[in-house]
Amino acid sequence: MIAQIGLSILLSGVMIYAWTEYSRAPAIGVVSMVIAAAGLYFVWLPSHATRLAGLVGIGRGVELFLYVWVIISLMVMLNLHLKLRSQMELITALTREIAIANVRPAASAATTI
Amino acid sequence: MPGQPSTSIWLIIPACNEAAVIGRVVDDLAWRGFTIVVVDDGSTDETGVKAGAAGAIVVTHPINLGQGAALQTGIQFALRQGADTIVTFDADGQHRAADIDGLIDALATYKADFALGSRFRGGAVAMPMSRRLLLMAATWFTRLTTGLKVSDTHNGLRAMTRRGAGRIKLRQNRMAHASELLDEIARSGLGYVEVPVTIEYNRYSLAKGQRLADSLRILVDLSAQRLHR
Repeated sequence: MIAQIGLSILLSGVMIYAWTEYSRAPAIGVVSMVIAAAGLYFVWLPSHATRLAGLVGIGRGVELFLYVWVIISLMVMLNLHLKLRSQMELITALTREIAIANVRPAASAATTI
Repeated sequence: MPGQPSTSIWLIIPACNEAAVIGRVVDDLAWRGFTIVVVDDGSTDETGVKAGAAGAIVVTHPINLGQGAALQTGIQFALRQGADTIVTFDADGQHRAADIDGLIDALATYKADFALGSRFRGGAVAMPMSRRLLLMAATWFTRLTTGLKVSDTHNGLRAMTRRGAGRIKLRQNRMAHASELLDEIARSGLGYVEVPVTIEYNRYSLAKGQRLADSLRILVDLSAQRLHR
């Protein structure tokens, strides 16, 4: 019971995180939420997890849960990568404005602005 | 603003550490009467100084962002200065200045908003086979993803009208910008035309060019962009 509560808190955290990320990266948000919801379901109904694990050829339900957790971790990593890209876009916009504000005019009169 | 540009045709040359060739490239263009803008993308050599001395306006990125970012900076700057026509041109000296007129004429003749240089309709001097295969794969990919019937997707020599340039918002800072630009053209619904141009490869430009690992990075960049807003 203690493990189930602990895992539920963790997976609920993942769901909240996925929800907050949905507006910025919809694909990541939806996939993370679905996986976390599935994780919650199987935490409380482990026999279903074992049955599903058997169906997909994994063996035990706990192993299925482990694999799901690995997928969630990878999704979070991908999301962090996307977040870094967004940060880079902000840096680019700032750099661009600084560059344009400090233009060095041409040496010759023909191209002076 | 102390004065107005001498011509409504603006040439944008993104450059990073091109001090060895940028002066000659600008010299070769300056006498034709274009307004030349070199976007110095955080060079650690004297690219900006040499470009300025040769007669170009120099816009300097304080840090290196990539060719795509430099192009977008140049386009944005030229538009703010009132450019009517914008031409993009590579800094490594592999384009022919004489091809620019053909691109600009094509905009008027075909009433297009984009004129895209094509080495496969024109010529490619001393192009290695590996480069040819890489470019053909990139063209195939771009035709598939954009629907544009283009023959050369990574050619830095292009011309665009003010209206066309206003529709280009490059978010790909690095080499994926060439595919992204075609994506933007397809999305804009504006007219485009391909114009034969000649690219002359030399040891310098080949050393600066893209390799297979770069093309994989381009694919990753393009895929990542589709995952977030």
